[in-house]
Amino acid sequence: MSAHNLQEIESFLYLESSYLDQPDLDKWVDLFTEDGKYWMPASETQKDPLNHVSHIYDDRVMMEIRRRNFVHPRSSSKNHLTRCSHIIGNIQINSGENVDEINVTSNMHVIVWYREEQQIYAARCKHILLKQEEKFKIRLKRVDLINPEAPQKSLVVYL
Amino acid sequence: MDAKSNKLIDELVEPTRIHKSVYTDSSIFELEMERIWGQAWIFIGHESQIPESGDFFTTNINHREPVLMIRDKEDCIHVLHNRCAHKGAKIVEERNGNVRGALRCGYHGWTYNFDGSILNIPNEEGYKDTGFDVKGSCNNLQPLAQSDCYRGFVFATLSSSTPPLKEWLGGAIECIDNLCDRAPEGEVELAGGILRYDHPCNWKFILENLNDTMHPMVVHQSIVQAAEDYIKTLPEEATEHRSEAEIIPPFGASYTNFENSGITGFPFGHHYDGGKTSIHADYTVFPAYHEAMMQAYGEERTREIYSFNTHNVLYYPSLTIKCAIQNIRVIRPISVDRFVVESWSFRLKGAPEEMLQRTVLYSRLINSSMGMVGPDDLEVYRRMQEGLVSSGSDWIEYHRQYGRDKELGDRVVGGGTSDLDMRTQFGAWKNYMTGNL
Repeated sequence: MSAHNLQEIESFLYLESSYLDQPDLDKWVDLFTEDGKYWMPASETQKDPLNHVSHIYDDRVMMEIRRRNFVHPRSSSKNHLTRCSHIIGNIQINSGENVDEINVTSNMHVIVWYREEQQIYAARCKHILLKQEEKFKIRLKRVDLINPEAPQKSLVVYL
Repeated sequence: MDAKSNKLIDELVEPTRIHKSVYTDSSIFELEMERIWGQAWIFIGHESQIPESGDFFTTNINHREPVLMIRDKEDCIHVLHNRCAHKGAKIVEERNGNVRGALRCGYHGWTYNFDGSILNIPNEEGYKDTGFDVKGSCNNLQPLAQSDCYRGFVFATLSSSTPPLKEWLGGAIECIDNLCDRAPEGEVELAGGILRYDHPCNWKFILENLNDTMHPMVVHQSIVQAAEDYIKTLPEEATEHRSEAEIIPPFGASYTNFENSGITGFPFGHHYDGGKTSIHADYTVFPAYHEAMMQAYGEERTREIYSFNTHNVLYYPSLTIKCAIQNIRVIRPISVDRFVVESWSFRLKGAPEEMLQRTVLYSRLINSSMGMVGPDDLEVYRRMQEGLVSSGSDWIEYHRQYGRDKELGDRVVGGGTSDLDMRTQFGAWKNYMTGNL
């Protein structure tokens, strides 16, 4: 995996989080492979998204539906000014399970302004990336909150 | 409680309107905790959480009563106050786990058997001739006034005068039966983890929303349209095997559909909508599941089990279940304007994995704090909490189909878009709050 230099990966993760901060969900969803998934488990040790509940486990179809719901004028929970700010750090490149995959872990802190309140999220992230036509694509973004079992507040953005 | 305060409480709930202080006044909240949550049977947990001797699960019975559910060596389940008899420290801090040997307080090392009886007090001779009875039952972990289990669902109450569990569940017991009967082996077990969702608003709003069938087409319009609009652009084969495509659109069902589903109310505030039909009625019956059901029950009984299709069932005030989905939500109040909802999923014993997978999918899609439905429901509850402090009016109304409810044996039935659910809940609210249990 040494072929991928850290700076290149860093830039990609920064780009990804900037799409979430802007937000530009069209571009963000496009970063995923056709079989790409966004996963926020409900338990730190969770191995399985299908037989165990998650906060979110979206494939491209669900991302497209969620994206449309986020901007729907009748979605009352989204009638509030919502902004977020991502900080990504401690980026590490690990060997992937498959030869073509790049497995990246990072720490992520996100501050979300929603309903006149600042919420703080801290998570360990795992990205499984592929390089397609000289561009990185996300096969999996797994967001492990440090408190996945705690009572969560409504969250109407992707972290 | 004196007669005067009972009269004041009585006046807060009229047949068709409710005083706003029921949702905003913290002294009324405290009374609710004492008189409703302190008397009703509260859902504690499921026996499948603690299959082995020494297995335990901890929760709160209301905003301040820590309790411990534990299985003893004789296979009996006990619901105990989670409080050391000595200085009051919580005996068990973890949410769940297994204790080997004995329960032991982390402060002075008093130990207890799994049934709560005192096992050992360290350096006991210090109590000699002090008038303290080291063998006294007051040194045990105290059991709740009553606890009982129905088909694996463990309930307890702080009151010794509340009628027995089965009598309290009444006719609404058929819904716990239906949930369990949907398992080929007739039993369910907790599986797939728990989601916890912080609700900064009064606990009653979620209960009133369960059978409020006038809201889905308004509150959930956006997600129904977002899903339908996008699904339309996809080739049919892309969504035909997706449970999401069955789960989301019925939230946009018409007033007529919801009216036809009906609402059924029972004593003690329990009720459900649906029965003959509900928004869950058209879900795919997976062939492998159907086969397992047919083998277990035969055709007639299998059809009968499927045909009882409720939407949301409320066991007032702490538990709501979805028989057709096999998940439940557990309510825990914290203060007048805050409560937590937990979503639990169940595995139908003897059913193929895809059944649990649909349950889990439903929970994350609908009930998650990051879901497609939950945040829009919470948003309207919060708007009520914020709006009710307005001096514009002191009352909220619940007139829909008032005077049209019909008594039918042990139950009251009415239209699916009626406020029968509100009348059922607030009838019980009054009885609990004014001592007419």
